[in-house]
Amino acid sequence: MMDELELLKKDWQKRDDQHPKLSYDEIHNMLWKKSSSIVKWILIISILEIILPNLLYLLPSMRDGLSIYENTAFNRYYLRVSIFYYAVLAYFIYLFYKRYREISVLDDAKSLMRKIIKTRRTVKYYVVFSLSMILVTVMMVLLGIYQNNDFMPLMEEMAQNGKDDIAPERLKMSLMVAVGILGVLMTLVIGAVYFLLYGLLLRKLKKNYHELKRLEV
Amino acid sequence: MNKELEHQFVTELENNQNIVHKVCTLYTNNREAHNDLFQEITIQLWKAYPKFRSESKFSTWMYRVALNTAITLYRKSKRSIQTQDYESVIFKIKADEYDETEEQQLKLMYNAVKQLGDIDKALVFLYLEDKDYAEISETLGISEVNARVKMNRIKTKLRTILNP
Repeated sequence: MMDELELLKKDWQKRDDQHPKLSYDEIHNMLWKKSSSIVKWILIISILEIILPNLLYLLPSMRDGLSIYENTAFNRYYLRVSIFYYAVLAYFIYLFYKRYREISVLDDAKSLMRKIIKTRRTVKYYVVFSLSMILVTVMMVLLGIYQNNDFMPLMEEMAQNGKDDIAPERLKMSLMVAVGILGVLMTLVIGAVYFLLYGLLLRKLKKNYHELKRLEV
Repeated sequence: MNKELEHQFVTELENNQNIVHKVCTLYTNNREAHNDLFQEITIQLWKAYPKFRSESKFSTWMYRVALNTAITLYRKSKRSIQTQDYESVIFKIKADEYDETEEQQLKLMYNAVKQLGDIDKALVFLYLEDKDYAEISETLGISEVNARVKMNRIKTKLRTILNP
């Protein structure tokens, strides 16, 4: 085999003039084309992942859910949670930006892969954090409904308007179950989309990285 | 970016484009993918060019960026369909230059190399380009000893592909 590879080497070097030849202008035109590199995709998907959970708070149903707190003690807690959430978000954005900037095509292959995985991991932690925050918010909404009787007259009205004679307590219970299921479902869907994207994008890179890393053991 | 830098870069790349073509040939299976990867490598080279200092040779620096792009940054290659026509164009053996057994042997060797994984291909590529183990280890970020170990494993792997 040693000899065969040597033979291949000789042949390989002989073929230097057999490759396509691009002109100055053809190369020049390429400078302005858009990159489709994995790093660019990571940036785009990460920005989406940071924006998406925040957009949920703008949905009318979420706002309505939160408006339950307006006259309750939960208002205070909600504010605290919000401040905590945005502080953590700011930290994640800073960390992501810092790691993203460290990615350089001039690194050796292994370092380059490690830095990309590290950057991606930052976003992974952020997504896990923000998914837990959604669950916490859902829990708070549920507690709010449970402890708050301000909207009981509304429930009674709804019960009267309805054809069936449903007890307000039961209606309240149904509302809690609905909110709970919706919250968990939303978390699952966002989580699934995220891990699917993540898995597809980094499958090749991770395989190569582990191949290089295995060597060092 | 000023015009002078642009001109300097394109001229350098034009003169050294063979390196990029060779990487594209190893990592893609049809002309479309070849051109696509060539373009991505060009973009990455251009983006990194302001950081390039002339203390190392332009070509040395190109190997690293081109391989990094092919192995790590570029991700379309997996989807490309293998077309035999293209391979035979690139690896066409001129009949009058070689005796028949050697020609056959080379053809099989090239096909075997194409079947290797991304990392293995990078090692073989640098080996074929007559790079020493110090440079191979630096480019891939592994120790020199491990580069040698890996190269021996690749030789075994190639032998298995050639003699199943």
